[in-house]
Amino acid sequence: MSTPGISILEGKYMVTMDLFPQQSKEFNQIYEFYEYLKEGRFTTTKCKDCGSEPFPPRVMCPDCYSTNMEWIDWPTVGTVIDVTEEAVGVPLGFGKPPMIHALVDLDGKRTLFLRIINCNAGQLKSGDKVKLSVFDVDPVPQEVGREVVQIARVFYAFEPMK
Amino acid sequence: MDRNVCVIAGGMSKWGVRDGSQRDFFQEAAKACYDDNPLLNPKEIDGLLVASAYTERTSYQTHLAPLVAEYVGVKPKNICARVELLCASGSSAIILAFAMIKSGQADIVMVAGGEKLYTPQKWEVFYSELASVDHDWDGGQGLGLPPPVFAMVAKQHMLKYGTKKEHLGTVSVKNRRNSAKNPKAQFQTPVTMEEVMSGRMIVPPLTLYDCCPITDGAACLVLAAEDKAKDLTDKPLVYIRGTGQASVNNMSGNMPNWTTWEALKIAAHQAYSKAKVDPKEVNVAMTHDCFTISEIIEMEDLGFCEKGEGGFFVADGQNDFGGQVPTNTDGGLLGCGHPFGGTGIRQGMEVMRQLRGDAVQQVPNAMTGLTHNLSGFISAHTVLIYGREVA
Ligand SMILES: [Zn+2]
Repeated sequence: MSTPGISILEGKYMVTMDLFPQQSKEFNQIYEFYEYLKEGRFTTTKCKDCGSEPFPPRVMCPDCYSTNMEWIDWPTVGTVIDVTEEAVGVPLGFGKPPMIHALVDLDGKRTLFLRIINCNAGQLKSGDKVKLSVFDVDPVPQEVGREVVQIARVFYAFEPMK
Repeated sequence: MDRNVCVIAGGMSKWGVRDGSQRDFFQEAAKACYDDNPLLNPKEIDGLLVASAYTERTSYQTHLAPLVAEYVGVKPKNICARVELLCASGSSAIILAFAMIKSGQADIVMVAGGEKLYTPQKWEVFYSELASVDHDWDGGQGLGLPPPVFAMVAKQHMLKYGTKKEHLGTVSVKNRRNSAKNPKAQFQTPVTMEEVMSGRMIVPPLTLYDCCPITDGAACLVLAAEDKAKDLTDKPLVYIRGTGQASVNNMSGNMPNWTTWEALKIAAHQAYSKAKVDPKEVNVAMTHDCFTISEIIEMEDLGFCEKGEGGFFVADGQNDFGGQVPTNTDGGLLGCGHPFGGTGIRQGMEVMRQLRGDAVQQVPNAMTGLTHNLSGFISAHTVLIYGREVA
């Protein structure tokens, strides 16, 4: 027997609370990032007053403290600087080792340390191109009034360009 | 009011994969601390700062400081609170205790730090570390436990400066040799360069002995105003001379440089300036060797050697006994282990002993000591400078 809305009793509490962020607007004011992600877009917020492009996206500009922010698209393709392959210590929920990460130059916007999926060990090298890859993650059973609604969620990694 | 501040007692529980609970370890550490200085009456302690990062997760306990006060038999009246900065929680608590005493807000403050990290389900600790980084962004990339981050640091440092895997190995061999002589350390056996070089692969180029373990345990330190300290210890007075703590980024995408740690340089500059100490005057150091590559970069960014020469500096024995700045003389994180909130306090305790002259492995005539913690995604750095003389 399960109690609606109390996901711990369905054995789902940890996967819904712990691995990935809350993405519904009730729990996250930058929920649009995840809406755009579902469309295959990688976005951040740009400050309309000073032009700064902070990442992760913000409610307030950390440079001029304006709250006059707009969503902009960032590149979805980057260039690998270097690669690591984790043989031991991969957290639950992130698949079997090795877990691959790469330091990626996102076309001059930022140098991001990203999880690389759909990639074999030893495959990726410095100078290779990688692109955004969006996937579904466990939905959150969220209480809405007396009902429980499954809130769909996504997250992102990057993958080698074919 | 601006007073001088001394460290007058310190002790730690046995560290390792321990039987027991977080509150058990705090009591063991307090007992060792009280035994270190029988002239100190714990009833006179007027402040308590408790350092613990995972208490809510792995011990399901918030509002920790009053609980620890109750268990270790102190009744604070000026401060009783918890401090959290993950791996640097302990040294952050020391800085705050120092500031309270220096400014006259308290006279005798105990700092106690520790964790029970192992739970009946061992995967928990790998999993819960997703909270240590920026959870919503780096956590979602599976960057919980830090080996991939430090493996990337090591690869970049090797590429840029010619640092070798053997240089990393020198650090593990040194710190494991030191911990083998420290009965409280997690690892009681030394390792050879051959063992280190053939260790189990974690994240290339980091192998098993390049990484500090996960650890249960606690440590305590007591700080006092100089006028009180003169009556409360018959050992040489050890002063806190200067401190610095800096952060320039948190999320990995905002890290300015992977092989030069800008926040470390800022924190070190602050501490050296306040302490009126030059890096070359530091006689003994406890630096944050969470990974072997960390200790190498710390030698550079703390100013003990030139940038890029850290690997060669350690391989030359310059941060071992007989060298320029013996480092991690008690075994460091690689040998003692790393119960997050306890580490900064263990470091302060070992420096206190080195400057008092009663360390297990003594650096002769040590007058000035330094501790360094890094925390999170290499995103905050904490430096304290201790001395036999005031600044
Ligand atoms: Zn702005």
